[in-house]
Amino acid sequence: MLTFHLSNSRIKRVLGGLSSVAITLLGLLALTFFIGRVMPIDPVLSVIGPDADNSTYEQVYQEMGLDKPIYVQYFYYLNDLAHGDFGNALLTGRPVIEDIARVFPATLELATVAIIFGIFIGIPLGVYAAVNKGRTVDHIIRVISLFGYSTPVFWVGMIGLIIFYAWLNVVGGSGRVDLAYDGFVDPVTGMLLIDSALAKDWDVFQSAIKHIILPAFILGLNAVSFITRMTRSFMLEQLSQEYILTAQVKGLPKHVVIWRHAFRNILVQLLTIITLSYGSLLEGAVLIETVFAWPGFGQYLTSSLLLGDMNAVVASVLLIGLIFISMNLLTDLLYQVFDPRTRK
Amino acid sequence: MNVSNLLKYCALSMAISAAIAPSAYAVTPDDQLVIGMSMDNLLSLDPASASGLDVVGVNSNLYDMLVELAPKDASQISPAVAKNWTISEDGTHITFQLRDDVTFHSGNKLTAQDVAWSLQRVLKLNLALASTWKTYGFSADNVEQAIQATDDYTLEITLPEKTDPKLILYTLGSSPSAFIIDKKEALKHEKNGDLAHAWLTTNVAGSGPFELKDWRAKDRVLMNRFDDYWRTPSEMKRIVMRHMTESQSLRLMLERGDIDVAMGMSIPDIEALKKDDDVRTEADIRGTLYYVAVSMKDPKFSNKKVREAVRYLIDYQGINDSIMPNYGVLHQRPVKLGLPATLPEPGYALNIEKAKTLLAEAGYPDGFKTSIRVLSQLPFINIATSVQSTLAQAGINAEIITGTGNQVYGAMRERNFEMLVGRGGGGIEPHPHSNLRSLVYNPDNSDEAKLTNFQGWRTAFYSPEINTLIETALLEKDAQKQIKMYQDVQNLYDTQIGAIFPISQMVDTVLLRTDVKHYEGHQAATTRLREVTKER
Repeated sequence: MLTFHLSNSRIKRVLGGLSSVAITLLGLLALTFFIGRVMPIDPVLSVIGPDADNSTYEQVYQEMGLDKPIYVQYFYYLNDLAHGDFGNALLTGRPVIEDIARVFPATLELATVAIIFGIFIGIPLGVYAAVNKGRTVDHIIRVISLFGYSTPVFWVGMIGLIIFYAWLNVVGGSGRVDLAYDGFVDPVTGMLLIDSALAKDWDVFQSAIKHIILPAFILGLNAVSFITRMTRSFMLEQLSQEYILTAQVKGLPKHVVIWRHAFRNILVQLLTIITLSYGSLLEGAVLIETVFAWPGFGQYLTSSLLLGDMNAVVASVLLIGLIFISMNLLTDLLYQVFDPRTRK
Repeated sequence: MNVSNLLKYCALSMAISAAIAPSAYAVTPDDQLVIGMSMDNLLSLDPASASGLDVVGVNSNLYDMLVELAPKDASQISPAVAKNWTISEDGTHITFQLRDDVTFHSGNKLTAQDVAWSLQRVLKLNLALASTWKTYGFSADNVEQAIQATDDYTLEITLPEKTDPKLILYTLGSSPSAFIIDKKEALKHEKNGDLAHAWLTTNVAGSGPFELKDWRAKDRVLMNRFDDYWRTPSEMKRIVMRHMTESQSLRLMLERGDIDVAMGMSIPDIEALKKDDDVRTEADIRGTLYYVAVSMKDPKFSNKKVREAVRYLIDYQGINDSIMPNYGVLHQRPVKLGLPATLPEPGYALNIEKAKTLLAEAGYPDGFKTSIRVLSQLPFINIATSVQSTLAQAGINAEIITGTGNQVYGAMRERNFEMLVGRGGGGIEPHPHSNLRSLVYNPDNSDEAKLTNFQGWRTAFYSPEINTLIETALLEKDAQKQIKMYQDVQNLYDTQIGAIFPISQMVDTVLLRTDVKHYEGHQAATTRLREVTKER
């Protein structure tokens, strides 16, 4: 069993970590805010449309606080943030936090299924390629990996829809669920698979599975490629070590040598790769979300950016920052679980 | 692990879906209409601020209006909440008698007070949709006197300025600002004197044939049938509108029958679906125009001969034949097609030699450099590319500057452009004034006037003669004389070489499954779905 003792040095490390997180987020906040204010997009026009007259323009300009100097706007914004108010989104008219709480679970669900594909396909492929280094199958896997890494997801998404949805009819089309089921399940977690299971609405659940399989698989292709390549590389390094030779000489079965000896030693490195991939997936995949009409975080951020909706953009960028920081912290924590040397 | 096992393992994920999930709906349910469309411009449902064609299509099914315009001939006004109306002799008063059997979704009775309040708040809030009313002379200060409920079922509108009362009726039957809001329900949600603006942005207090169940921006709109609707309730129990911007996805879903109606598809996909027996297309002509505009603030384009040269440097036929099918139809007048006052096409065509001669006469024998601002979307970018290439043939080197609608029209509102490919021009009301007010009229050309809602001002085209004629025509009671005046405006605009060169009249192409019946797209985008049925 793992035990952690709170020592002064540990407390200092935690505090140091937290302060660096706070500084990173503040920096990110300032940068995003000021870049947003100098972007050549007029948020007023996004609200009033191109044909409103000037008195309407001036009225909305002032209501949005844009008549004040940028630094004043920034301090007002910081003040609101300090009170937990991220403002309202132009796009939806609702508080930004509510919007993100609505769209993020859709992306979380998609990215989680995608990373599961990434792990369960990428790792075996990487291990298999490493074990068969230089053979035909190794080359095939490397080509597949390169294909997954370099092919535009937009194109793969369309081809996937044509083959698996239009021709074979084994997956659902665009959206998170068949349109006729839209709105049947009240959101609890925002993740449709979980919500429909909680509601015991198995028709919606099955429809949701059919709809998530293809976009998640295609989104996961990139992760599959990355994980495959890194697993292969890590495994090759381990397989050339003397302890592997010793294990083979001892007559241990091949799968034991590979999975219990070599693979265990690459787990820590793999964790870093997987968490980083997961972090990227959680940022939202705009193209996949567009092709599959997936109302997720990526689409929300992109739409907000195009509208000049800086409340939504700043909050979204902060969330992305938080995701990466959390992923790094999670990696550090898991290091301690899997690698005893890091617990000191 | 051998290769065969590995392949099986890799295929597992896809097989899972086929194994555990049954087939999706082969077709949509009989009592639901499923629509795939772009909701990019659907930012608010508040009738005081919700501009854009998408939101009109949504709100038309959630709210009622006093009157309605016929889908295919918008000049035909029919009763709706108002069962009849009278116009005073001098044309300054319109009195509406309202039905007494209309209830809102909340259960409240719809009265003339609701109508008056709904229209008054448009001016009081002074948001996007106040512009049209302000051009008729209404203002936040006079609207309470101008629009009054004289009893529960009588509404009186007193025109603050003399205008053609038909125009007011057309606006009441087509403008997204004319939807009738449940005053009592809305005011329950008023905050800081906002007349429920914040609440109505995402909620609905209407009396239309459908109730809003859920709206999520850029995701979906769900509507349920309103069973107590004063007309016969719809056969459709539910309307599902889904935000879908990818044309190929729309096409696949329409082919499979997973959606009933698709809007905003690309030309190749529309053309491909025209061969599908299960799908039909419906083209709705809108009032707005695709155009090339030049800024007369720019010294080059203030020269009449340069503008005339530009007129001959647009390949109208080529653009309409190759770029505009399903987006628009050839039209070169500032008044939309189909009105009695619309003149026949003037027949402008690409004529490089004539343009070169005109440029030489204007002092630009070798052409000049300029820029074209354009939206980075189809068909705008393709029109701009065509214009760029034909301008180049006469020595005009035009750089294309792409941007979002916000950036392109923002620059136009600032009068900060040289050339621009755009779309606009009013035209919602079936009245020549609607287009001319938007595209040509410019009563004050000074920068300080900031008449940003007039494209005449944005392009700095200023003709006192045309302004006077537009103002006079609006007040002319004799229909034939009025038509003649509007035709004179068009001729003058041609002679004076305006700053806007219309290319096409906008067309919205909608694709439907053939089992969807009684879907009638509306010229003003107020497409009502209450009569849609499915025959299978």
